[in-house]
Amino acid sequence: MDGSRLETNRRRFIGGASAAVLGLRYGTVAAQDSSPSAYRRWEDVQRNKWTWDSVARGTHGTNCTGNCAFNVYVRNGIAWREEQQGEYGQSESDVPDYGPRGCQKGLRHAKYMYGKQRVLYPMKRTGGRGEGHWERISWDQALNEIADKFIDYNVEFGPRSVSTQLGTQMVLKRASFAALGRFATIAGCEVPEAFAGVGDLPIGVYMTTGVPLLADTMAAVFKSKVCLIWYCNPAVTRIPDAHFFWEAKYNGTEVIAISPEFTPTAMHASSWLNPKPGSDAALAMAMANLIIVERQFDPAYLREQTDMPFLVRQDNGKFLRETDVLGTPDARDNLFYIWDEVSGKMLEAPATGAPKPPPGSMVPVMNTGSLKLEGIVPALEGEWVVNGAEGPIAVSTVFMKVKAECQKYTPEYVSEITGLNPQVIVDLAQKFGAADPGMIFSGYRICKWLHGDLMQRAFLLLLSLTGSLGKPGGGLQIWNMPHEADQFAFMFSNLPPTLRIATMARWDYTHADHKKLNQQMYGNELAEHVDEYFEKSIENGWFPDYSDVKWKMGIYSGSNAANWRASGKRWRSEAFDQLETIVVCAPDMGMTAMYADYVLPVAHHYEREDFMLEPRTPYVQVLDKAVEPLGESLDDFAIYKAFAKAISERAKARGIAPVEDNFMGMPVTRDFTAYYDQFTMGGEMQTNRDVIQFLIDHNHGLPQVSFEEMAARGMMRNPGTETVMYDTDSPYGSTLIQAVRDKVPYPTLTGRQQYYMDHDWFMEEGETLPTYKGPLSNEGYPLRMLQGHARHGIHSTWRDDSLLLSLQRGEPDIYVSPRDAEERDVADGDLIRVFNSLGEFIAMAHVSSSMQPGMTFMYHGWDPMMFRGRQNFGAVVSTAGLIKPTSLVGGYGHVTYRPLSFEPNATFADFTVDFAKYTGE
Amino acid sequence: MTQRQVAMVIDLNKCIGCQACTAACKSLWTDEPGQEYMLWNNVETKPGPGYPRYWEEGGGGWNEAGTALNPGVLPLKEDHGEEIPLNFDEVYFKGTQEILKQEREMGKGANYDEDTSSGDYPNNYHFYLPRLCNHCTKPACLEACPVRAIYKREQDGIVLVDQDKCQGFRECNKACPYDKVYFNYVTGKSQKCIFCFPRLEEGVAPACARQCPGRLRFVGFLEDKDGPIDKLVNQWKVALPLHPEFGTEPNVYYVPPMLPPRFNADGTFDEEEPRVPLEYLRSLFGPQVDESLATMMFEMEKKQEGKSSELMDLLIAKEWKSLFGIPDVKVA
Ligand code: SF4
Ligand code: SF4
Ligand code: SF4
Repeated sequence: MDGSRLETNRRRFIGGASAAVLGLRYGTVAAQDSSPSAYRRWEDVQRNKWTWDSVARGTHGTNCTGNCAFNVYVRNGIAWREEQQGEYGQSESDVPDYGPRGCQKGLRHAKYMYGKQRVLYPMKRTGGRGEGHWERISWDQALNEIADKFIDYNVEFGPRSVSTQLGTQMVLKRASFAALGRFATIAGCEVPEAFAGVGDLPIGVYMTTGVPLLADTMAAVFKSKVCLIWYCNPAVTRIPDAHFFWEAKYNGTEVIAISPEFTPTAMHASSWLNPKPGSDAALAMAMANLIIVERQFDPAYLREQTDMPFLVRQDNGKFLRETDVLGTPDARDNLFYIWDEVSGKMLEAPATGAPKPPPGSMVPVMNTGSLKLEGIVPALEGEWVVNGAEGPIAVSTVFMKVKAECQKYTPEYVSEITGLNPQVIVDLAQKFGAADPGMIFSGYRICKWLHGDLMQRAFLLLLSLTGSLGKPGGGLQIWNMPHEADQFAFMFSNLPPTLRIATMARWDYTHADHKKLNQQMYGNELAEHVDEYFEKSIENGWFPDYSDVKWKMGIYSGSNAANWRASGKRWRSEAFDQLETIVVCAPDMGMTAMYADYVLPVAHHYEREDFMLEPRTPYVQVLDKAVEPLGESLDDFAIYKAFAKAISERAKARGIAPVEDNFMGMPVTRDFTAYYDQFTMGGEMQTNRDVIQFLIDHNHGLPQVSFEEMAARGMMRNPGTETVMYDTDSPYGSTLIQAVRDKVPYPTLTGRQQYYMDHDWFMEEGETLPTYKGPLSNEGYPLRMLQGHARHGIHSTWRDDSLLLSLQRGEPDIYVSPRDAEERDVADGDLIRVFNSLGEFIAMAHVSSSMQPGMTFMYHGWDPMMFRGRQNFGAVVSTAGLIKPTSLVGGYGHVTYRPLSFEPNATFADFTVDFAKYTGE
Repeated sequence: MTQRQVAMVIDLNKCIGCQACTAACKSLWTDEPGQEYMLWNNVETKPGPGYPRYWEEGGGGWNEAGTALNPGVLPLKEDHGEEIPLNFDEVYFKGTQEILKQEREMGKGANYDEDTSSGDYPNNYHFYLPRLCNHCTKPACLEACPVRAIYKREQDGIVLVDQDKCQGFRECNKACPYDKVYFNYVTGKSQKCIFCFPRLEEGVAPACARQCPGRLRFVGFLEDKDGPIDKLVNQWKVALPLHPEFGTEPNVYYVPPMLPPRFNADGTFDEEEPRVPLEYLRSLFGPQVDESLATMMFEMEKKQEGKSSELMDLLIAKEWKSLFGIPDVKVA
């Protein structure tokens, strides 16, 4: 493309000292330079290399969750290199500080942003999709053409025929995210929700606590006594944070890595346990069993914080509710009971039975009251007969049920499932039971199993039993989320909150015939089973029905969806290619942009302003503009503003009348001619910076300063971050602190950490309690293929950096065990075909004894563009149609459709493959 | 001996092989034509052939008596791998090629064996070894240079190749047993790690150390009594030079790795044999590795029992800046 751009970048600063922004000199060095002959001219050449013209604060808004504070050094108008600011403080005085953070991708960004993968101008496809033939067009032409199509689809098929999808390049840049969200709210487009879409949504955590994410700052790790790094690989996936684990180990914490393969994390752990893939819930249940048997649990915690003492009817297995006891018409079905050991009587469970929120409310439960037990001691164990409206009812407790469920998981039985020695399981349980507090550090990999929710519930059970949930240094650490209301400030300001979030797994199920896919991959029985519940949940009105409108236009902002979608080519033909118009806004090319009809250039991380909120550190982090955007690229806000303007102008010119829309029963008029005015709040919001300031002003979890001040500092400490946990005045969720310290009820049906789900569908599925269900396989394919976030990439981006590629194998590789390789006559470095009945892809075999025999492992993110036939691992991920019946439940307190909290999570792990030497070419 | 000697201690128990150090060094110093294959700082998986491949077998260094140089082999360019551009234009914008890939075959690159483990699962083992020039007290490279282009700075012991004087004889390439001198094929001169002397002169730690997110690369002067280097190398004696038998007296030291315990055949933990065979560690760090590991284990156990340990606190480095026994001023 632009040759001169690269040359400028290559032009080095040789000779002639520029004004180095350096204050201090290291005096002693100069003083000791005793020999005058030591002066060497060439040394000055080197010294002059470390000089620059200006510095800006920045980071990488890639959804890496790193939030690392960088100085971006600019020389001759080019972002030359970056270096960590480094100077962070500590969360508390007795934990390591956060300095310096950073990772190799971040340290490549100044080079990468000038790479030839950059999109520099608006482009329009000239050849067939994916052929790589383009015509350079002006912004005006691009926006007008897209606006016309947008209006046409809206008029003919309604606003839901357009989808706006945000991806990792933009979701966590707060102002960019808000800009897209505001546009989508105004336009009524469907926004496919990628959190559950990529299989990351911890619905098991939500079921139990009423919030999907609970994590503290990274420094909390240092305060744990036993830290189980469970099915997670932070040495690779959390590069800026990983040091906390080894520092904790040095400090006396037992850091235990649990994963089938010997991960880079296991390398530095105090010990490593290697259960078979997908057997983790069984291990957790065995531990829970032993902790209960050895009475290592914390009864006081369980009585107050969990539903364990709640009474359950022995006849039908349901909670005992006021409706059972009173039988009057106004009896509540969300008032529960406990047995008080002090009075020897059944009592209402404190803080249950609150009035339900009105229909259309943003929250599904509105619990009131306090968890405080005020002189009562709810029994955990016992059987009683109580008076019901229709006669005596035999009851026991949730704890009794949990205990009975756990009893199935003896060390010997679980040894068979996991492959671990029974004594090792006993010792692990003993250690964890004694830990005060114990932590489970996990990652989104536990969400990617079909039964990941059960894993999460079993992990939480362990933590609740030991009273570790909600203590500094304890808990389940996955991630935390900024407050929803703060995120929505700009999106909804002066607008009805009609953001249409669509659940990807369900949209695809409906429109890409996933029933058929399930039949082909897992057989009729499973396919029918899933389908029956799917249809029923729609019938019951528990979930929106997507079948009536099909997307005609897809706008992908910073999303490289075609990189990672399960079922690869099938998804591309059944869903992606079905779109009549594909628009991709991206800084860099990739599979998704390659197949677009229009590609619009987006400014890169050092070319724009924004800010990041990531709970790994207690700091808010700024992206400041170090250099002007390359080519004609624009920041996301500018693009959506220009797009809104084009829509309004085209509608005016064409005399298009408003369309009537209906958002969940609420009539909404979509007046295209007003989009620009609405988007800019009557012209008030003109730049990304205006949005940033708006967000700062409306988020009281942020330092209340101007963006200028924030940008001058780069990072600033957030309020409510005086300890390793997030307090109520911080920008993040603080459910556990509120419940454990302040006794505020959990936002669940029971107002407690809820381990018992007495909904019919949970009963039918045998999932009322945490339990173990094994992973699914593809019959005839013996090897489990696991995946995880890559060291040398962030999600679906950055896999094509030339230096980092040279620090790998230069092409996609997949780890296989020596045994499995030998059996298939494959040697290290051979190309192999990895296949199952869905499809196949070709990659290089990386033979390593770190792999458990019977498994293969491939790091995420390798773009399909880097594979023969443009087929990456998506080709064999046969799980796209797997939807858990229990994830379709609605109207059960907090367990009801709620985007980003409770919705069907895409599954990516329940499949198996085989491989053979590739003999083509 | 120079008046002062700058040194680095790298704690291998905290290194995660992220290559941030490699990338940091690359952007700062070796981003010019002719330097594509150079990694003044590299990180390799051990056991493994490393970078350049099989560098440990290339000879060089001093004889046992320390009186003469051993013969050394010239490391080959192709054994280094190199940064190769991708065919972005052809694939994305011209539509003339189908697959996105490096413009030409890289061969086995600098980190080809990343995470290739040794031994048998589940008792396999490997770890990461970051490497840079050791700024040796007895630099073989300097000794070998026929035109005295290589010098060791009096004020800090940094070993440099004067680019004005170097005539490209490549004797240093052969002599350095660590293969840490590189020949620039464009300028025709040998180049190597400069320990970021322009930064050091301003009181800023080298890029590979300061930009390491692992917080594990200590920098300071050997002579600073009670500085982090002196403590780890001389007082606690846990930090050891790599291949001391090469005779160059390196000034980069390593805290040897302790991996998690092995399994017995029945799946219980083996409390006796360490996961990484001691013989292997001795072959890297010399016989003192036993004592170093014993000290580390002993001090770690103290912490586990709730007692204090100065050594562990030093390695934890609650304050990031405590890694650097130099002022380490703010960079901008
Ligand atoms: S990419 Fe993310 S983790 Fe890496 S340096 Fe940038 S912000 Fe930090
Ligand atoms: S930056 Fe630090 S942790 Fe990463 S590879 Fe280098 S030395 Fe190891
Ligand atoms: S490591 Fe090699 S290049 Fe560096 S000083 Fe020693 S001998 Fe010379």
